[in-house]
Amino acid sequence: METVTPSHYLCLSLCLFSIGFFGVLLRRNLLLVLMSLELMLNGINLALVNFSRTSLNLDGSIFVFFIMTVAAAEVAVGLALLVALYKRRNSVFSEDINLIHN
Amino acid sequence: MIQVALSLLLLPLLSAIVTLLFLRKHGNIAALLSVATAGGILAFSSYLIFGNDTGSVFAWSTPWFSLSNWQLDFGFLIDSPAKTLLFVVSFVGLLIHIFSLGYMADDKAKARYFGGLSIFMFSMLGITLADNLVMIFVFWELVGFSSYLLIAHYFKTDEAAKASRKAFIVNRVGDFGFLLGIIFTYWTFGTVNLQELSVTANLDPSLTSTILCLLLACGFIGKSAQFPLHVWLPDAMAGPTPVSALIHAATMVAAGIFLLIRIEFLFTAEAFKLIGLLGAVMGLYAGFCALTQRDIKKVLAYSTLSQLGYMAAAFGLGLPGIALFHLMTHAFFKALMFLGSGSVIHACHHEQDIFAYGGLRKKMPITAYTFLIGVMAISGVHFLSGYFSKDAILLGAYNLDLVIFCILYAGAVLTALYMFRLYFLTFCGAARSKSSSEAKESTIFMTGPLLILGVLSVLGGFHALYPSQIVDFLLPDIARVADMPNHLWMNVLGLVAWVGGLVLARKIYGAQSGDKDPLAENSPALFQLSNSKLFFDEIYSFYVKKIQDPFFRFLEVMELLFISGLLVRGSAGVAALFALLGKSFYSGKIHSYSFWFVSGTIGFLAYAIFSGGSN
Repeated sequence: METVTPSHYLCLSLCLFSIGFFGVLLRRNLLLVLMSLELMLNGINLALVNFSRTSLNLDGSIFVFFIMTVAAAEVAVGLALLVALYKRRNSVFSEDINLIHN
Repeated sequence: MIQVALSLLLLPLLSAIVTLLFLRKHGNIAALLSVATAGGILAFSSYLIFGNDTGSVFAWSTPWFSLSNWQLDFGFLIDSPAKTLLFVVSFVGLLIHIFSLGYMADDKAKARYFGGLSIFMFSMLGITLADNLVMIFVFWELVGFSSYLLIAHYFKTDEAAKASRKAFIVNRVGDFGFLLGIIFTYWTFGTVNLQELSVTANLDPSLTSTILCLLLACGFIGKSAQFPLHVWLPDAMAGPTPVSALIHAATMVAAGIFLLIRIEFLFTAEAFKLIGLLGAVMGLYAGFCALTQRDIKKVLAYSTLSQLGYMAAAFGLGLPGIALFHLMTHAFFKALMFLGSGSVIHACHHEQDIFAYGGLRKKMPITAYTFLIGVMAISGVHFLSGYFSKDAILLGAYNLDLVIFCILYAGAVLTALYMFRLYFLTFCGAARSKSSSEAKESTIFMTGPLLILGVLSVLGGFHALYPSQIVDFLLPDIARVADMPNHLWMNVLGLVAWVGGLVLARKIYGAQSGDKDPLAENSPALFQLSNSKLFFDEIYSFYVKKIQDPFFRFLEVMELLFISGLLVRGSAGVAALFALLGKSFYSGKIHSYSFWFVSGTIGFLAYAIFSGGSN
């Protein structure tokens, strides 16, 4: 049985990041866009922890805590905005909040 | 003194502004205001004329504006010729204002009419008082504008609308030359002030040149409707008759002569000769055209052209005093005849064809006899006003330049002929139409000015009767002509001219019954020639239609292709392309924003990595 190496973790974090990235680009539902953003952050967190573990340096792990804090705050603000938006426009789809008519 | 001069100039402007702002709907008040203004003008100008001694010059100026080291003054120069013109303008102006009260009594747009008259008085006084060429030019354009305004008074008729445009445009041609002349003058002399110019020109006569005089004289040719720009004046008769009397007979067209007198010191011998010849030819040509006109006002218009020619000839002979003298007497008798024709037209319900008149002497005696005085005065009947001024021109020409004399003398015979033709056809014989058989004498507003002008037309030639301030400028030239030989011979010739014209007119037109011109039946060739006015209008419209229009259409195509097409539209197109590109980024779609954001980040990263690698 093959052992799990740092490259595997790195691949996983790349996958997570890409799923998030394409989710942001392609999803029309803003709630899902927000979730995809979180996914990207988590992909980056995984990579940071991975690097921190392989280089035996705690800097990366500490950085992860900061990112998680920021992500929590961001979700709180983002969800609040989304709720406000939904109350106003009755929709959370990105094409419905386009103010430029051309 | 200066306060009086300023109030004289600003009074009619104020009246025009008040009329424009508050009195547009109140025609009667506007009319009274305008007449009161004309009275005020007469009072102020009397003060200016008689306020100081004969021969004294009042000059005053203040900076108007300056462009770097060039400064333009706003100033007055009230010298002897200005006083003469001031008298004519304010006095005849007042009479015509009063006449207008009667003539325009049932006009619907009275306020516009009287406001226009006030603007005209303002501009005309400006020309009279101005002390530099630029100021003269400004007021020159203003009289052109007010003339345009008043010719187009009946703007609903096609004729008046066209005539006003024609007058305006033809005048622009002359004024363009005048403007070039002013620029040339400034370039040569370094000043446009009349007094400074006269000093400089007298110190160094070689500075001036014939071309400069002729450019300045372009202004005169346009405004006084001399050859080749004479075509506008007969058409300008489409305006109300008092306007024709004031602007197109007595004052504005005479301003051209006044301009020549103002800049006399600039003239070279050749320029004098040319102006003299031009004037003489105009005197004959216009008289010839007047022979076959059927419209009473057009006869008078051509007669005005002819008399302006006489004035120009007098100026060209070096007798500016006589020119101004004739300007003054002409203002009296021509205003008299125009107002008389206005009275006739008013009585005959705006019928203007002289072959539809006849027998008006018994119905309108005051108009008829005052008109007869005017006719006799212009024909040069002895001891009336026209005799003194016109025969002075003829005598001067006889002794100074025989060619000009011959042309002018032929013109004098024609003058008597067409004027008596007009008189016989209008006032003698039997009524030839319904409107003339029902005519009645006009009201006192109209006959009063006629009577006053009639007296002036009789006595206006005796220069000794005038206060010396008014005739100061005329006296030296009158004395000069009085000293010339051949007085008796000239008297006989003058007698032959007017008696000949009278007898000829009596013979041809004395027993008119139908509405056909007897000249057309007796000598059709002559009639055709005179009626065609030597084809000037046709030549000009041919030039405009066949040469000028195609040329400008060609220019227009070039403009569309290159300037408008290639340069303007081309550069705009390039900018629009960029705009399209930039606009496509602003889609309002959050996905495209995030796409560009991410690709931008990747781009910067790639740049940082690859350029970092090369270092």
